[in-house]
Amino acid sequence: MNAARKTKRARAGSPAAARKKKAEAAVMMSAEKLTKRFGGVVALDSLELELRQGEILGLIGPNGSGKTTFFNVVTGIYPANDGHVRFDGADITNASPQSVYHAGIARTFQRSRLSLPLSIFDNIMIGNHARLNQGLWFNLISRAAFKQEFEESFETARELVHIFDAPLADRMFDPVAGLPMIDRRRIEICRALISQPKLLLLDEPSAGMTHEETAQLMDDILEVRGRMEGLSIIIVEHEMGVIERITERCVVLNFGRKIAEGTFKQISNDREVQEAYLGIE
Amino acid sequence: MNSGEKQTPATLWPALAGTALTIVYVILLLKVESQTEVIGLLVVGALAILATSWSGHLARAGQALTHHESILHLLVIFGALVIIGFFREDHFTLLLLTTVMLYVLATLGLNLQFGYAGVLNFAGASFFGIGGYTAAVLGAHTPVPDLLIILAGGVMAALIGSILLLPVLRTRGHYAAVVTIAFALLFKVFLEVNDILGGPQGLQVPGMEMFGWKFNNNIEIGALELSFYVNYLIVILLVLIAAFALVRRLERSWVGLNLDALRLDETAATCFGLNIVRWKVTAFLLGNFLIGIAGALSGMVIGFVAPTSFTFADSLILVSIVLLGGIGNVWGLVLATAIVVIIPEKLQAIQEYRFLLYAAMVMLMLLFRPEGLLPRPVRHYFPGWRPK
Amino acid sequence: MDIGFLAQYLMNGLMLGMIYALVAVGFTLFFGVLDVIKFSHGDVLTVGAFAGLATFLGLEAAGISHPAIQILIVVIVSIVLIAALGAVIARTIVLPIRSAPPLNTLLITLMLGTVLREAVRLFYPQGANPQPFPALLPTNSLTLGNFNLRLDNVIMLVAGVAVIVGTQLLLNRTKLGLAIRAVAQDEETARTMGVNFTLIVLITFALGSGLAAFAGLMNGLYYNEINFGMGLLLGAIGFSSAIVGGLGNIYGAILGGFLFAGLQTIGAVALPFASAYKDVFAFGVIIAIMAWRPTGLIQEKISERV
Ligand SMILES: Nc1ncnc2c1ncn2[C@@H]1O[C@H](COP(=O)(O)OP(=O)(O)OP(=O)(O)O)[C@@H](O)[C@H]1O
Ligand SMILES: [Mg+2]
Repeated sequence: MNAARKTKRARAGSPAAARKKKAEAAVMMSAEKLTKRFGGVVALDSLELELRQGEILGLIGPNGSGKTTFFNVVTGIYPANDGHVRFDGADITNASPQSVYHAGIARTFQRSRLSLPLSIFDNIMIGNHARLNQGLWFNLISRAAFKQEFEESFETARELVHIFDAPLADRMFDPVAGLPMIDRRRIEICRALISQPKLLLLDEPSAGMTHEETAQLMDDILEVRGRMEGLSIIIVEHEMGVIERITERCVVLNFGRKIAEGTFKQISNDREVQEAYLGIE
Repeated sequence: MNSGEKQTPATLWPALAGTALTIVYVILLLKVESQTEVIGLLVVGALAILATSWSGHLARAGQALTHHESILHLLVIFGALVIIGFFREDHFTLLLLTTVMLYVLATLGLNLQFGYAGVLNFAGASFFGIGGYTAAVLGAHTPVPDLLIILAGGVMAALIGSILLLPVLRTRGHYAAVVTIAFALLFKVFLEVNDILGGPQGLQVPGMEMFGWKFNNNIEIGALELSFYVNYLIVILLVLIAAFALVRRLERSWVGLNLDALRLDETAATCFGLNIVRWKVTAFLLGNFLIGIAGALSGMVIGFVAPTSFTFADSLILVSIVLLGGIGNVWGLVLATAIVVIIPEKLQAIQEYRFLLYAAMVMLMLLFRPEGLLPRPVRHYFPGWRPK
Repeated sequence: MDIGFLAQYLMNGLMLGMIYALVAVGFTLFFGVLDVIKFSHGDVLTVGAFAGLATFLGLEAAGISHPAIQILIVVIVSIVLIAALGAVIARTIVLPIRSAPPLNTLLITLMLGTVLREAVRLFYPQGANPQPFPALLPTNSLTLGNFNLRLDNVIMLVAGVAVIVGTQLLLNRTKLGLAIRAVAQDEETARTMGVNFTLIVLITFALGSGLAAFAGLMNGLYYNEINFGMGLLLGAIGFSSAIVGGLGNIYGAILGGFLFAGLQTIGAVALPFASAYKDVFAFGVIIAIMAWRPTGLIQEKISERV
């Protein structure tokens, strides 16, 4: 256990060392020929993608290239027109969002989707659905048992928030509506992490934040990952500094097609990528 | 809120004094007859609320009571009993009180549906009517005991409501509104043309009888004479307490959280494993159950049911109460019902204009204070609980 | 059943369908430009009918009794007044809360409907009672067996068709119509194209409300009676029709209006012992359609962006 933790930390610290190890790690998720069309727009075009256990994969591409759509198809919000998604040994193509979540995939949204009138704690508990007892009897009648579960969940949620921002952890019953963007992003990530998913999908977690805030958020994400055994992450991000720092491998999309794949160094030297990204960096 | 949690809870004295004053105020308001006195009292009441909220006393009293919720509950029950006791011989006022309590019961159900789960229901009065008609039919033609008839009213409302489940679940937004609006109109026409259910005249509902005790007789204890309505009020109070506790617990559990989550963002909720159908169905059926129970009780108290009491306009009044009180706030329901039912009854001058005034009031509310009179606070699963 | 009876039912169904369609088109126009439901629409119709009646009484009092002049003035005054009312409602109530949750806009307009309805009941002389509506059109009729073809009905049908076609042409063939459609498509783009958004919204509400006034007059002329509550049911039916057709779609609204009238007629014909249940039947079918096609028969394409 302890040893495992250490290697995790080392991995997080040094992507290069991790990549060597990763070569042997099991495939966590894969997309095969995944296609999604909206009318005439082909948002995903026979996408092939593989993610290994514990890996941090960057998914990049210009605006409208299909990154968010990929997340939406994987999480079952939109049905795929063609192709397959496999996760942890099972075929989850076109599974309902509920079953995708129960299989162990949690996500954040590009446009923050918190329930603003609810408290920080409530928002995080929404993500904890799988681990809470949803029985009517339990919730309405056996209040003593409920209270115990509530107190335990509160502690877990508080600890998780504490990693991201200690003062925030003292305000668990404040409504989310009054919080600044960075706190909202943190809470969204906590909501996704609280159920201890195997795969975390982050859709532009740094949107609307300053440079320093972004750097801090990434540190926190890496720290959490260090604590969660085998968590894989796919991150969509426009800020290339972030991608370079935290990903081990990148996939580049353009018009729904994969145009390059490899380490950040490799893809940033790729001609096609540079053309697609004309103007970036 | 945060700092409030760290302080020692405020002292209870202002709250106790406030409750005593409120009880006296309600008694006075119900007692006075002359229109100038009524208007004077209403003005005094409004001024008192403004003054105490400006001086901060209102907020402090409210905070103290939320920290000692069981005391609040006892005070409210005690207040209700004092008021019932005071008007023990006054049929008219007691009937008014039953109306208030039954409306609160019905709007508790409505609150579950669209206050929490966001499921629109513009047919509240119809489900209320189903409860009433069930009581009429079962009471007149079967030997079913009255306690079961009350439950049956709720069950029938939930059952007939379940016909609407499929369209209610599949439609969103405006499309969902049409389902219950159509049902409300359909239901009223159905009652009017159906001879078996008495047509436009409606049906008589036999009075309640429990364990040989006939509710429609006045109570005589020695020299003390109580109106027969006291019988009903006690039963209704008990049912209301049970329903209130149920809704409160539901709100303060993962179930309440689920309903909020699906109301606020269905897509995000499904992405975190929430079963939308299960919770919408639960809210819709349970809500109609409560409304149906209120309807059955109402039928028994009034002694008859007729289509004109269950119109679309009545459904709108129920919806207005929920909005006026502050969507999702159960105490708001009590306050709003009291305002909506008692004031027009006392102010003869506005009796005739009451629909107009309700409607105008709700419009102003939605335009200028959409969160209602008592906005719903953030959920505290166990009031007064603080992290270790 | 006798063919004459069927013809009578058909005529009746067409009249009702026309009235419903006119109301439904209003709902769909409003929804098109602002994505809101204005539930007071039915009661605006009531106000239109009462405005027409009051105008008629005023003309009588003023000694103007030529029927053609009367009908012309009644129609013009009623439509102009109600169009203005519609624009005022849009300006003061609908526009300010357009970004509020849909439930709020629905409720506020439901309440506005109640205010209008109650105002007619309380403030129109004897408003609580049904009011006789004068027969302003020639009532000659042609009797064919059991079928009684009335000239005024024919005139109304023709006028109704003309109004609907006119609306359609206005929307599809004029610059104004183009602007309305542009706003309905996408507010932002319309603005950048230089369309005066607020003005277009007000004009659309005036147009839809004018149609409602026309429908209210038709209703009065057809039944020779109007009452303060008539708009509630007509509004609900118009709303159901617009919804069943698919919001934002004019053809859907017209289809929905005639469909509803058709259902009522079928209910009346096919349930001979229970023709009183025709509204129950019609609303029941509407609910069933909503279960089957939750976004209307001509389906609105909605794909929420996540
Ligand atoms: N619900 C939808 N309906 C129609 N078209 C859609 C829908 N969602 C996405 N699209 C289209 O699919 C394409 C891919 O969009 P997507 O949101 O996946 O891009 P993205 O890579 O996430 O872009 P960005 O960096 O701007 O977030 C775009 O052309 C977009 O217009
Ligand atoms: Mg995106």
